[in-house]
Amino acid sequence: MAKVFVVTSGKGGVGKTTVTANIGCALANKGAKVCLIDADIGLKNLDIALGLENRVVHTILDVANGKVTASEALVRHKQIKGLYLLAASQIATKEMLSPEDMKKIVAEIYPKFDYIIVDSPAGIERGFRNAIAAAERALVVTTPELPAITDADRVIGLLENSGMLESNIRLLINRFKIQMVKRGDMLTREDIQGNLAIDLIGIIPDSDEVIVATNKGVPVVLNGNGEGIGRVFNNIAQRIKGEAIPVENDIQEQGSRGFLEFLKRLFRRN
Amino acid sequence: MFFGLFRKKKKTEGSRKEAKDRLESITGGRRYSVPVREVIPQELLQSSGKDMIYQIKAYVADKYKVKEENVKVQLEEHNGYVVIITNVVFH
Repeated sequence: MAKVFVVTSGKGGVGKTTVTANIGCALANKGAKVCLIDADIGLKNLDIALGLENRVVHTILDVANGKVTASEALVRHKQIKGLYLLAASQIATKEMLSPEDMKKIVAEIYPKFDYIIVDSPAGIERGFRNAIAAAERALVVTTPELPAITDADRVIGLLENSGMLESNIRLLINRFKIQMVKRGDMLTREDIQGNLAIDLIGIIPDSDEVIVATNKGVPVVLNGNGEGIGRVFNNIAQRIKGEAIPVENDIQEQGSRGFLEFLKRLFRRN
Repeated sequence: MFFGLFRKKKKTEGSRKEAKDRLESITGGRRYSVPVREVIPQELLQSSGKDMIYQIKAYVADKYKVKEENVKVQLEEHNGYVVIITNVVFH
């Protein structure tokens, strides 16, 4: 039986899709059977983040309309056997899917997977309600900026109102800039967590690696050598699986890596 | 310009503190939920509205450190539910 997560934020552009793709890859790499569902109908991106845009034949709307079953619409990842995608449609609107449709779709694939992760669109309207309809757990993504944090706060309230247990809502801080925090120019992990009052599942440092990986259509977890940001996503996947890995590890590695990168850059020829 | 490289930078206060204060003022108390029995004991829930109003006033005045006369409580009935409307004057 699957654990069903929604990755949400309220604010757009904080990295929900990147987080969904990478956590999905990391979990599947560890042997879990994972289904990623793109609930961002009309503005889909998850297939692009996974490099599967040319493999999508059927979308979530085809499933909702009864054209195909959910299992028939799934696309298997090129490199990872246990990772599947249920893509969204580009030429449709969020109103064409209902929360009931989402519940039915998830119910169909529920017994076949260990994890189902729904990538929510930005906002708190219909698309958000569709995305959270079947989820028992949530990963709330925020960046360390006020608009993103206040939107995350609103979303946490809405998730609680929808009946989700507070203990099932976890916070993920993305694009954390350690140097800015050291300079006193960015909110710390404690500032953010203290205000949002939910457990933290990971801190993803700001990194160019993500952009390079997205350019290639290969999630950063698969793109590197298991170091850097890829390691952070692996840490998060392990925490999702219930392993106790201190969140401090996510930024400690990056702090020392920052110095190594600096030395490398210093002696690089071009 | 060359000597400027070695000049000690003036230490300026970062923007974190300002961001933290603003964040607290925006989110502080937005999701503050209190179980109703913490404010109103079970026996008072079944008694008169006046006792309930008195209890809420005392709780809010203590919680926010304001005088009881600065707390206004109204009970209204909507669709079969009792709705408690509480206004607090802080200044």
